[in-house]
Formats: sequence, structure tokens, C-alpha cells
Amino acid sequence: MADKRITIEAARYDPDKDERPRLQSYEIPFYDDSMVVLDALNYIKSEVDGSLSYRWSCRMGICGSCGMMVNGTPKLTCNAFVRDYWPRPITVQPLNNFPIIRDLVIDMDDFMHKLKEIKPWIIRKQEIPLGAGEHRQTNDQIDDFRQFSQCINCMLCYAACPVYGLNNEFLGPAAIALARRYNLDSRDQGLKQRLPVLADNEGVWECSFVGECSVVCPKGVDPAKAIQQTKLDTTLRFVLPYGNRD
Amino acid sequence: MTAEAKAAAPREYPWRIPANWWLRNRHYFLYIAREFTVVPIALWLLWLLVEIKRAGDGRAHYAPHGSTALVVFSVITLLFALYHSYTFLSLAGVIIHVKVLDRPVPSRVIVLAQFALWAVASVVVGFALIWFAR
Repeated sequence: MADKRITIEAARYDPDKDERPRLQSYEIPFYDDSMVVLDALNYIKSEVDGSLSYRWSCRMGICGSCGMMVNGTPKLTCNAFVRDYWPRPITVQPLNNFPIIRDLVIDMDDFMHKLKEIKPWIIRKQEIPLGAGEHRQTNDQIDDFRQFSQCINCMLCYAACPVYGLNNEFLGPAAIALARRYNLDSRDQGLKQRLPVLADNEGVWECSFVGECSVVCPKGVDPAKAIQQTKLDTTLRFVLPYGNRD
Repeated sequence: MTAEAKAAAPREYPWRIPANWWLRNRHYFLYIAREFTVVPIALWLLWLLVEIKRAGDGRAHYAPHGSTALVVFSVITLLFALYHSYTFLSLAGVIIHVKVLDRPVPSRVIVLAQFALWAVASVVVGFALIWFAR
């Protein structure tokens, strides 16, 4: 194991020097079967080239910071094992569909703006005083939205979505999945506040159901399902006489 | 962001999706194939409208167009229509959210039910066409 080596080709982009991103090759030890691509990047940063820039935090698939393109596929680098690629080289690039700030760091402002637009929090018409007790839910009520609540905002789904790549006005998979998560929550009463954004031209109707967002999600969320179900719901609300209820 | 802050911000490299993006992943290719199927289907339906118009002149003056090229095109269109129907029914199972006795019906059951209905409808329509054409 000690003699094994792996080649990492990392995208480099220095806005002060480079016209466009380029690949830089690093050959480093493949020291352990549990080694993930993020470990390889950390090795490069600490032992070979301290100038390599990338985001990471928890190293355990929870924070959603370390999403990058690994051999052309959006992945959490903390969850992409080097053993699955070795002995072939591993190419690490910034997430597709976003502007690049430096090396592997993308500008996520657009996503943060869209996330805020769909108000991903519980909205009440009238808050219940704390003294009145908790908002009670049955297991079935939780099951309605549970899978959509697993989203960690890693943006892999945006990197996999060609619709967003072609038109970044599209609200996008994660934002819509989170909107659905709150719209399905029995404690929430914010549907009418989210509908103008969801039913807009650049909302759910921009999606033409490629489905790759659900394939790449590291948490098993199905944003494509959330989007198509929202299309159906908004249509029924428009068509049915009682559809515009709260 | 203010104009000053924008000017001071580092230059970002903008993302441009490559023209061949749909060839870079099998799912993307199948998606484009699914979307493309509507083109021959639309052309075939246009041709059907022309045939209906011609049939309006009366049975005595009407002879259906039956060139080899049209037969080949019709077979290709049928294959595209079958592929489109298959993808549509498979995806519709994901969309439809039905509860029976307060339990959600699994997507697989919904998809199978749709394929069964499709098969029954095809048999009924085929039978009716053959019956009335005798």
C-alpha cells in the first residue's frame, strides 16, 4: 500500500494570472484504502502545493461544502473514494454551471439568492406561543416530507442540471425540493408565499425532467420528483374549483 | 453589491456549457433522444392531417399514399412513439402521489398500472380498427 501512487489532476485558476482554468497534475501517495478525494486534496495542500484552493468543512457528508466534479461527475469529495478510481488518474474540477472564483472554488451567490427566495423555513399565519406547547405531527405527516428535508445544499444537483447550465435564471433542483419540503410540512402555512416563485416561468415549468439531479444527490433526495409533483399541484390548484385553498 | 465592490471583486471565470454537453453523459443523451422523438411524431401527424384532407374528397377519389419511404418513416415514427410513451409512463409514476388507506402507493405499482392500461387501450383500439375496417 505504501508504494501505491495516485495522480490527481486539479483545476487551477488564478484570476490575476490565468485567462482560463488549467489542469495541474500531482502524483501523491495512495496511503490507505479509506482515502477519499478530499484527503488527496488536503495532502496536496499540506505537503505539495499550499496554494491550491477549495472548500471543505466536516469531511463526513453533512456540510455539503466539498462538492466538486470528480472525473466529470458532481461528487462530494469526502465521499468519493480514491480506491474506486485507482490506478487511473482522478480529475478534480470546480462544480459545473457556476462561475469560478479560484481553483476549485465556485461563486455560490446565485444559489444562496434562490434559496432565500423560496423561504426555506416554517411560516405560520399566526405564531403559537411557546407556552401552548409543541407543533405535534404524526409519523405519516413526517414521512410526507422527510426525504426532501435531507438536502444539505451541496449544489451537486445544480452542477448536474443542463437546464440550469443553459439558463441560470432557473430556480433549480435543490431550491424547489426544499420549497416542497416546507409546503408538505403540516406545520407550515407559507404555500401562498412560495407559489409566485415556484409557478413562475423560471420556476418548476423551466424543468424539462432530465432527472440527473436525483441521480447525483449524495443524500438520496429526489429533486426531480419534487419538481414534477409541484407542477402537478400548481396545475390542479389552477384547474380545480377548490384548488386555490390554503 | 455596489459598483465599487463589484469593481474591487476578483475576476471570476464565467461558466459556459459546451455545445456537446448532451454527449458527455448517457442520461443526457437519453434525455435528448426522448425530447427529439416529438419531431418525427409531429411530422407524421402533419402527414396524417394531409391524408384526412385528401380522404375528405370522397372514397371514389381517395387512394392512400403507400410508398416504401412512407412505410419506413411510419415504422421509425412508431418506434419513437413507443420510446416516448415508455419514458412518459415511467416518469409519470414518479409524479403521481396517491394514497390508499392512508398509505402512499409505491411508484412501481403506479407505473405497472399505467403500462397495463396502455396495453389494454392498445388492444381495444387495434380491435376496433380491424373490426370497422372489414
